Amino acid sequence: MFRKLAAAAVAAAIAGPALAQDAYVVGLTGALTGPPASTYAPAVEALRIYIDRVNAAGGINGKTVNLILQDDSAEPGKAAANAKKLIAQDNVMLMLNASLSSTYAPMVAEAKRAGVPVLFASSVCPKDVYPPADPLLFCTTAFAANHDSRAVLSFVKETAKEPVKLGLAAMAIPISRGEIDFAEGLSKTMGMTPVSKEIIPPPTPDYTPFATKIKDAGANWAYSWAPWVTQVRTLEALRRLGWQGDYVAWAHIEAEGELARLKDGQFYVVGATALFQDALPIHAEIAQAVQKANVQYPPQQMAEGWIAGMVVEAALKATSWPPTPEKLAAAMSNLNVDTRGLRGGPIAWTKDNHFRTRQYYRVYRWDPAKASIVRVKDWTAFDVQ
Amino acid sequence: MQLAVNITVLAAIYALIACGYVLVYRVSRVLNLAHGELMMLGAYLLLMTATQFSSHWLAALTAAVLLSLSTGVLVYVFLMRKMTGEMVLAAVLTTVALGILLRGAMVLIWSAQQFYPAQPLQIANVAIALPGGARISLCAALLVLTTALVYGALLTFLRFGRWGVRMRAAGQNPLLAAQRGINLHAIYALAWGLSTLTGALAGMLIALDAGLNQTMAIIGLKAFPAALVGGLDSLAGALAGALIVAAAEILLINYVDPLLSEVVPFLVLIAMLIVRPWGLFGTREELDRV
Amino acid sequence: MSRQPRASGYFRTGYAQDLKLVQTRAERASLALLGAVLLAFPFLASPFLLDLANQVFLASIGALALMLLTGYAGQISLGHAGLMAAGAFTVGILFRETQAPFWITLPAAAAVGAVLGVVFGLPSLRLRGLYLAVSTLALHFLVVYLGGEYEAKRGFSTGILIDPPVLAGMAITSGHAWYGILGTAAVATLLLCLNLLRSGTGRAWAAVRANETVAAALGIGVAGHKLLAFVISSALTALAGALFAYHRGFVSVEAFSLFLSIQYVAMIIIGGMGSLLGAILGAVFVTLFPYGIEVALRALPGAQRYAGTLFAVNYAAFGFVMILFLVLEPLGLVGIWRRVQTYFLLWPFKHRPLAGRRR
Repeated sequence: MFRKLAAAAVAAAIAGPALAQDAYVVGLTGALTGPPASTYAPAVEALRIYIDRVNAAGGINGKTVNLILQDDSAEPGKAAANAKKLIAQDNVMLMLNASLSSTYAPMVAEAKRAGVPVLFASSVCPKDVYPPADPLLFCTTAFAANHDSRAVLSFVKETAKEPVKLGLAAMAIPISRGEIDFAEGLSKTMGMTPVSKEIIPPPTPDYTPFATKIKDAGANWAYSWAPWVTQVRTLEALRRLGWQGDYVAWAHIEAEGELARLKDGQFYVVGATALFQDALPIHAEIAQAVQKANVQYPPQQMAEGWIAGMVVEAALKATSWPPTPEKLAAAMSNLNVDTRGLRGGPIAWTKDNHFRTRQYYRVYRWDPAKASIVRVKDWTAFDVQ
Repeated sequence: MQLAVNITVLAAIYALIACGYVLVYRVSRVLNLAHGELMMLGAYLLLMTATQFSSHWLAALTAAVLLSLSTGVLVYVFLMRKMTGEMVLAAVLTTVALGILLRGAMVLIWSAQQFYPAQPLQIANVAIALPGGARISLCAALLVLTTALVYGALLTFLRFGRWGVRMRAAGQNPLLAAQRGINLHAIYALAWGLSTLTGALAGMLIALDAGLNQTMAIIGLKAFPAALVGGLDSLAGALAGALIVAAAEILLINYVDPLLSEVVPFLVLIAMLIVRPWGLFGTREELDRV
Repeated sequence: MSRQPRASGYFRTGYAQDLKLVQTRAERASLALLGAVLLAFPFLASPFLLDLANQVFLASIGALALMLLTGYAGQISLGHAGLMAAGAFTVGILFRETQAPFWITLPAAAAVGAVLGVVFGLPSLRLRGLYLAVSTLALHFLVVYLGGEYEAKRGFSTGILIDPPVLAGMAITSGHAWYGILGTAAVATLLLCLNLLRSGTGRAWAAVRANETVAAALGIGVAGHKLLAFVISSALTALAGALFAYHRGFVSVEAFSLFLSIQYVAMIIIGGMGSLLGAILGAVFVTLFPYGIEVALRALPGAQRYAGTLFAVNYAAFGFVMILFLVLEPLGLVGIWRRVQTYFLLWPFKHRPLAGRRR
């Protein structure tokens, strides 16, 4: 068996680079296994389904798209090796990242050396994509540091009827800590009082100790911007302690299913992606495709990956044959993709803005009276400068 | 008051997991680093029985517990039995490999999604008010109760049960025990079965309380210092160790820096290892070369 | 060191001959062949294979260091990833704070490793076996915590980026240059280990491993030699971590998880305890194996459709093969190698004649 394996390995290693390039080759490294996989794996599945559909419909500019998936288990070392392999062996023109922020540095380092553009799809947008943007880094992900807290806190400010005493909860990963620190500073300038800031190490068997601190600090609002587990466990622990305040968190891909599970009227999720509750035509399309592909994840978690697919398709369409990373990066620097309602507006990239020129936020919550998810606040635009 | 409740709950979680480490180590001197994965497997088994076998909580739980017991026995019979007599390090590495295998298999079968076994079982995780203004969730209360019951049962079993006495004998001196006609393999298999069962129980209760995804395996490792502080071969020690580690963790979260809670169990551990390498209650064994 | 028997007709006639590392013509020839292959490799291989080779070199350095400690001096450590992190962070911090060039950071990393080696080694004076492993594990968490705090406090939320080292006015970025550097480093480590083990120190370690009481009775300073093993091994490990940081161009705590320590332990056990060759074989195997499985799985028909589950299978298969190795081949890869060697040496016989049996 080993001999066969080795033979196969050698054969593939030799044959790999020699493959004729008659397809758009796109590579992705993502956390498909490992602890944080629940956030990233559905998005990657969605992207794969989307690209398969594109190929089934005749491809882009008459060429197929070859999407090469690599698993990094959210480990930076593996991500670095994956990036190297995608660039050196598969000759990709575009790399996608769907993993924890700790994988960014090694991957970006490899990509820059080779001049290959990187698209962050379903992983948090790094600051480098905001204006002035790094020429090679792009992002389609809904959530983004700093902008989100601005939207969330302004929602809190206009919703709260009494002075806000704010409890904050972050996961002990740098990106989440940084954002909650930012929110703490911002809340003071907006006239709120941050009373408690909890940094919760992952994974924690019991969130009650942290919730106890938020409750004891006398918070009447709490805000968490962290992976979904931390956000929702903190809320559940708070509620079990009998805390009555309002809780606002980011609408990750799990949000829709979870709102229905928790049935908590004072739990607001702020997001940039329309929930399936809105029943847009595109939602039906996604649901159908997902059902046909027979995957383990519900369609509600697929929108993020779908958007990434739309953007990849548009970017490749704008790149004439034969494609090169430079051409693609140039095309991506001037792109406008209609998200067909999945987002509040198009994903528009300019030369110095690789995030989007305007970011739209919607707020949802569960309405116990109607027994369904309701929109609390419709698309609100924030200019990105 | 709430502080005391929080400490109790966390200590119960650690104690219930830690006794699995202790059971296996005490009998066979093998450190089972796949315990976290076996615990996660238990939780997934509950999910399976709840959705496919019976939605009555007692039936589903019983079925899942029996399944985990047999899983543990099978792990010994098909894997760890082959490792008896090898270097201890090799045996430990085998459990690590088993853990990797199980993790991969579990993603394969159940995907990386978040699950809530409490939903199909229709257990509402209500909060119970305790005197002194403290509150505890139903599942956490159940967990504390289970831990108490498991420890009571195990201690009685090891003290008075026929197989329990055999188990202790095998742990103390395998050669003598074997010569006295004790079936060592049966004892080891039993230890693995019980260890997996208690770990799985912990996994199931945590999953009922907080849901289930791929991170659960790591919680198993967090309970490991508790087992060591108390002494790896003492059940009472595991209980005390869990209490110490949980109290240190919660007090640090509350009064100092929550991030230290990651490190401090291990610092307590180092201090303990230097002062009393065999742990609080552990037997002062000859620490053999490996 | 246990050496394989030689075919026949070769007898040493003086001590000088006994001390030579390469003794027979056949050895010289095979070594030359190996050297030629290693030299020719970068010119033939694809960049990806080159990167794999570089990973193998890095892993070899770490595995050799661990083998010194565990396989020869008999001290178990689970803090290997922590030491690598210490080396990498020394580079990262020095580079970020003072822009120090590599010829300062690398020795600094080794020095930090040596100091930490004393710290990691202190418990070994009192603890043995599993308990020692656990105390090194505790130190691993401590190092990683400190590194994480540095990252968070200084705002390097996605890791510390490090510029490539500049040698003679040229930035080292290409895989070929790294192949040369890492390959040289690996060979240097191997030679260092080989010579250490042939010296008095190596023999003292072997004595300490075999029986501490007897070693002490022979006049060997047990405590000192244990600490020395930790210091040398840790300095080498930290150096490997520093090279990792330069090679990948970044440092972050997440790259040094407990799983990395376990991978290194897996290398020396799968390779074969108590053998430097084993450490290298183990490093090759553990590094390349996941890629091998991936390639094999992708060769299956319709692999792309199952791409999502492919990686779970890959992960599980790694565990499975590790189990197979541990259960079926306790002597490790080096055991297989020795069997093959013996088979040819003894041919046409199957067994060694009883008389004149070595060991």
